[in-house]
Amino acid sequence: MQAITKRNLMLGGAALAATLARPALAQAMDVAIIGFQMSSETHARAANAAAAAARAKGWNATVLNSEGSLPRHAEQLDTLIGRRPKAIIVCMGKPVEAEAQFQRAKAANVPVITIMSGASNDTLFDIQVNEYEVGAKAALWLLGELGYQGNILTQRFEGNVGTRIRGKVLDVVLSENTGVRVLGTHTMARTASWRDDVRQGFQALLLRHGAQTQGIWASFDGQAFVIDDLLKVRGAKKGQVKFVSIDGGAETYRRIADPDSTLMATVTIPFEEMGTKAVDAAERIVVKGEPKGAITSGPYLFMDAALVDGNNVRRFL
Amino acid sequence: MIRRTLARYGTALAGVALFAFFALGSPVFLTPDNIALILKETAFLGILAIGFTLALVTAEIDLSIAEVASLAAVVTGALVHGGTNPWIAVGAGLVVGTLCGAANGVAVTVLNVPSLIATLGVAAIAKGFSFMLTQGVAFVGRWPASFTNLARGTLLGVPNLIWWLAGVGFAAWLLVKWTRLGAHLVATGEADEAARLAGIRTRSMKRLALTLAGACAGLTAVLLASSLSSAAPAMANDHFLYAIAAVLLGMSMFEPGRPNIPGTLFAAFTLKVLGNGLVLLGAEYYWQDIVLGTIILVSVALSATGTGKAPFVKKLNFRR
Repeated sequence: MQAITKRNLMLGGAALAATLARPALAQAMDVAIIGFQMSSETHARAANAAAAAARAKGWNATVLNSEGSLPRHAEQLDTLIGRRPKAIIVCMGKPVEAEAQFQRAKAANVPVITIMSGASNDTLFDIQVNEYEVGAKAALWLLGELGYQGNILTQRFEGNVGTRIRGKVLDVVLSENTGVRVLGTHTMARTASWRDDVRQGFQALLLRHGAQTQGIWASFDGQAFVIDDLLKVRGAKKGQVKFVSIDGGAETYRRIADPDSTLMATVTIPFEEMGTKAVDAAERIVVKGEPKGAITSGPYLFMDAALVDGNNVRRFL
Repeated sequence: MIRRTLARYGTALAGVALFAFFALGSPVFLTPDNIALILKETAFLGILAIGFTLALVTAEIDLSIAEVASLAAVVTGALVHGGTNPWIAVGAGLVVGTLCGAANGVAVTVLNVPSLIATLGVAAIAKGFSFMLTQGVAFVGRWPASFTNLARGTLLGVPNLIWWLAGVGFAAWLLVKWTRLGAHLVATGEADEAARLAGIRTRSMKRLALTLAGACAGLTAVLLASSLSSAAPAMANDHFLYAIAAVLLGMSMFEPGRPNIPGTLFAAFTLKVLGNGLVLLGAEYYWQDIVLGTIILVSVALSATGTGKAPFVKKLNFRR
């Protein structure tokens, strides 16, 4: 027991010592990056890209994970403000809930740039794509492919503001195009075991409505992968069912290009570019002393979200 | 002598060493603002963990504390968001927490459902109600200062959250250590049958402990909603494992093997020191989990003999 205890103590000590041995934070540009839920691929993509971009400039970058918890998010912001980094980048944060922390940051002259979080008077700006536009692109692609007639199934997720907006925009588009009917909808309820949830729920939808379905809409690509696998097991071929999703990424592009996959299109959100853009903006404002207005005049820095389908997927592979 | 001191105070000393380590490593760590920040953050975890400790004193485990706190926060948030008098909203949050705790107590003592299962059931119900009330969308807004000041305000220059933590901690310690009722709670947990034969109403004690755990969850919820100006399903879930960790770590100090209020509070503070210090040192997020796990293993290993005697360990047949 004594040996184990000593070893554990030594490992813990070594880990902490390694942490301390990092280059002194005060000497280089110190930027802190918070991912609200790093187990979510999109949050991690933006945060990791920001960290990589900062390190490529020779800066010290610390990545924190709020693990999807608002209290922890607020606590991390509070602690960081005490450390006085040169800039804080928040990926998929909650500006209204963290209003008190952002106000403290502003008072302490710590600039905060957010990514896909929503704007706040106390941050510089929010880098994002227009989710309403993203939703409209996906919905219109689907309806266009269907010739504005047919039956569709939808896979939704109401627990995230982005996916919720995409679903609401789909409803608006459908309300103007009554030739397309929603035969069934599954709404993801569980977040920890969401793949299982989607698999079970959509399998039931396919059993009931599969033969009458001409189109499928999924609120994010992870759901689409699960549905794609279900459709392949049922023997579906690409193009038999018009299938669109949203987010983009290497695996999505691979499936769109793969003739054996049923996924046909996505609207790609440039998460990596957003992370890089945040670091570039921090450099221009903090290091070069440029005013915020030189980067964007409003509360947002909008980025393009391209529609990717069989026609242009090669450019993304 | 050294061995006994290590078993009794080893974890506390490790906590002090950790504190000293961060004080040496970061010039910001010992500033009054940062110490106040750590104490404020300890309030949420500490109050929730005190509830868990009280249940554990009677050898019952309350796995519903986080979901109950989330539901109570949602109810409080919904009312404040809807323009209800904030004091009524606060009362409603406390009542929801207390009623859920009482439901746990009834399930355990009247329906004879083991607390491990009963509290899991209540947690699932609370989670369902949270989503029913919110439809998954958080209540967020710029709420009245009379409400947000409960957590964000100060009294005599000291943040209110620290007063709340001190008040609840002192009341719980007083109850367990210095009242007849507290002695009955402890006796129920340590020797249920003997206590019953001695005339102690053990079922009532268990109901009371679980109800108090619910009340603590309700108070945590109100303070969380007040602090964050928002309420959402699962918003307190992050505290769940940390609360259990705080109680288990607390059982490895002061009164080894026994759930005790000072131990829980010190452990909760140590866990928050750990999170704060690692962020100040610029450590990546995964180090926090690695170091936390290591500290739990080392601390519990140091006083393993004591923990092996813990009433709940015996009850669950977790014998070494």
